[in-house]
Amino acid sequence: MLGDLLKKAFSSNKKSNPFHEKSNKEEIQIKEQKIHSDLEYSMTIFKEIYSFPDNKDVKFRTFQIGGLKKQACLISISTITDIKLLDEYAIQPLLRNDNPSFSIENVLAVQALSTVEYNKDAIYEINKGNAVLFIEGYTKAYSITAANFQGRDVSNADNEIVLKGPKEAFTEKAASNISLIRKRIRDENLIVESAVISKRTKNELFIVYIKDLANKQLLDNIKKRVSSLNVDSVQNLALLEQHIEERKLSLFPSILYTERPDRASAFIEDGYIVLLMDNSPDSLVLPATFWSFFHISEDHYLRYIYGNFTRGLRMIAIFITLFSSSIYVGITNYHTEMIPPDLLLAISATREKVPFPAIIEVILMEFAFGLIREGGLRVPTPIGPTIGIVGALILGQAAVQANIVSPIVVIVVALAGVCSFLVSDISMNFAIRIIRFFFILSAGFFGFYGMTAVFTAGLFYIVSIKSFGVPYLSPMTPKYTSSKDTVFRRLLKNEIFRPGYVKPKDMKKT
Amino acid sequence: MKKQKHLIKMVCLILLVVSLGGCWDKKEIERNAYVVAIGLDKGKEASLKITYLISNPEYGSIQQGGSTNEPPVEIISFETDDLVSPLYKANAVIAKEISYNLMKNIIVSEKLAMEKEFIRWMYDTTKEKDIRRDTYLIFTKEDASKFILENQPKLETRANKYFEFIIRRGIATANIPDSTLHRYLRITEADADLFLGIYATTEHEDTDQSNKGDEIFAGQLDTTGKTNKTQFLGSTVFKEGMMIGKLTAEDTRISLLLSVAEKSPPMLISFPDPNKKEYRIAAKITQLKSPKVDLKMNNGISKVDVFLPIHMDILTDHAMENYAKDTQKREELKKYIENRFEKKMMKFVTRTQEEFKADPFGWSLIARKKFASLPEYKRFGWMQAYPQMDVNISVNITFGDFGRQSRLPKLEKVRD
Repeated sequence: MLGDLLKKAFSSNKKSNPFHEKSNKEEIQIKEQKIHSDLEYSMTIFKEIYSFPDNKDVKFRTFQIGGLKKQACLISISTITDIKLLDEYAIQPLLRNDNPSFSIENVLAVQALSTVEYNKDAIYEINKGNAVLFIEGYTKAYSITAANFQGRDVSNADNEIVLKGPKEAFTEKAASNISLIRKRIRDENLIVESAVISKRTKNELFIVYIKDLANKQLLDNIKKRVSSLNVDSVQNLALLEQHIEERKLSLFPSILYTERPDRASAFIEDGYIVLLMDNSPDSLVLPATFWSFFHISEDHYLRYIYGNFTRGLRMIAIFITLFSSSIYVGITNYHTEMIPPDLLLAISATREKVPFPAIIEVILMEFAFGLIREGGLRVPTPIGPTIGIVGALILGQAAVQANIVSPIVVIVVALAGVCSFLVSDISMNFAIRIIRFFFILSAGFFGFYGMTAVFTAGLFYIVSIKSFGVPYLSPMTPKYTSSKDTVFRRLLKNEIFRPGYVKPKDMKKT
Repeated sequence: MKKQKHLIKMVCLILLVVSLGGCWDKKEIERNAYVVAIGLDKGKEASLKITYLISNPEYGSIQQGGSTNEPPVEIISFETDDLVSPLYKANAVIAKEISYNLMKNIIVSEKLAMEKEFIRWMYDTTKEKDIRRDTYLIFTKEDASKFILENQPKLETRANKYFEFIIRRGIATANIPDSTLHRYLRITEADADLFLGIYATTEHEDTDQSNKGDEIFAGQLDTTGKTNKTQFLGSTVFKEGMMIGKLTAEDTRISLLLSVAEKSPPMLISFPDPNKKEYRIAAKITQLKSPKVDLKMNNGISKVDVFLPIHMDILTDHAMENYAKDTQKREELKKYIENRFEKKMMKFVTRTQEEFKADPFGWSLIARKKFASLPEYKRFGWMQAYPQMDVNISVNITFGDFGRQSRLPKLEKVRD
């Protein structure tokens, strides 16, 4: 019976096409056609495609080209185009021209000009914010680069904050992001390739790498993977990350997501490949190892000793986050002889009046802490401080006074919570916070034995996974030639190798 | 579909494993009653009378939700035949599960320790897994149950702290020997030396203290004031797991000085001034190296040569002799002390040879090295051979400093 139920629950719906879809075959056919020499006809088509009178920001500017005495039409979407530029450098020169024998290319005083021959290409250009000039009798159209999308200016990094070092962060404009990288790497070998990765929205992806460093195989692998996407739209890199990663259900992230151009450039210089996209104030770095999630850029900006001090703190913090709650559970349930007598008695005294078993107590507090954290994240700024005070007061003070939890549990959970913030990468942060629950459960069931077993199994797993062919814990295990920048970094003068696991074309940095 | 089926099977199996395993010896920390010390006495009907000193975790806690008006300890005594079964029997009275996790002290009455059967019960401690080998063994003049009841530390809030502090301090000052369960079992099983246990009592004994110095046992130190009655001083002597005698504080110190098993802690001692016998000199002696013990064996009588280097700081000079200034006086003092030490030590060694017929110094460890194989050593029989041995002790004193200010004024000048 149970089997039948499960079968039913998991059997797929086999009815074909349950949706009432409408074919737009006709429209597709029109788009596939070459540009017609009859301007009138073309304009009718385009007005239909863009639903002209309804679609308010699509502009059709019809005029006669001086000298040539020919009708022309400039199509643009006014909200994403630089109208002033079009007016001054495209329309006015064409209107004022009186030389009958001239080429269009020489009159248009714009920065970039290209020709398109198919309707669909013209549409693509218009959607990108460019203006397309159709001329009577021409079977091609001119695309004038005049895109002007609205967006933020370059501002401070919000999530990867450093005290020492550059403060700029990527914005939602890919062009300015590329500019930020070019500013740091003035190298003709820095390549910015673009690829269209979605079918309907035509989102453009930029693949940034250094030609004589990045491994060809890795590059081909990535290109293959992004070009084989079969989706209508990929709005930004956060979504793209989930499309191209290898293990979609794995707890550990396999692509690094950073908003700092200095960090992205440093990776590019080591032979990694960086992906950029419009609408994404960040970049994806691939391949990624455990260490790239563990490090922050400030580790290298700070002097050797200070940088390593923070690295040490961070490593300890990871272990505190992972184990403090579970050690508490394990000790209070199984290994009471392991703690100093006074602590044992203190824990015992405070636990006396608490109604729940230790594991429930800890999970309760962890849950409450998680709630405060998520709640605090979404709370509007004006009431932000309030929730902190309320959370700390109610959960810390009142819960202890009401004997719902013991004060030591508050300390243990708060310590773990604070330590979890030291891992600044959000994906790794989540991974560690989730793994913590596995440890708490295993400690509740089996004590330290269970924790050791889960830790060992976790190590097996983390050693086995790969990100774009690169083992997750390399260069520590398996060993590769590298600058040995793992838990601790070395002196800058000793960091002479690029990481061997990305197989760069040039290994030595000097 | 097939993949999903496998997945479901796997998940179910893993869940089953979780429900099968684990939680066997899970004990919530607050559901245990923590025994700090157990007392052992001779029982009237059963073979033992056991006393539990149970610490109240809530007492003395200033944490929120932890403080209480309950007494600091709970004490319960009853008769039993072994050390393991009372764990459950006590639950007729004690509400929580008895736990030996904090148990660091076993208190045994002298009377029980002198029983021939004593060793049988001590081996119970090796059976119960929660009893640690570093548990201290304390032997009391009175019944252990009475000792536990009468012992009322004034400033240490918790009983476990009191025992830990007073024993550690006692060992550090060489008032008592370092006597753990492990050492008791080891020495008993090696069957060559004597084991020294901690001697303590709450009973005060009126004795004439004048000129006895350190030749006293626990209970013989006169104290007045408002303090705990308990005294930890001196040691008990065990041969083959059975108590056969007691050592005063001084004898305990001598045996620590002569011991080769480990270095003795620094000690503060006093002795009469060689020049003016009515005044005493206080000194601090430090053992820089453990004594050099040389064993020579001829068929028949063996000879033991002990060389004991001692570093000595003179702390007082009531006779106003100014030893720091005068080389000759210092030489005299050195000779006098060496002589005095040698005499005292020899006296003690002779006593161990005649009275105990075994040594508490761990010299058998040196003797072991002299034999090629263990059977040979066993055939030799250290314990049997020891009483006949010719022991020769030589002490070498080196002086350290003579107090912070070494020079003293001339008394005649002050009193002119």
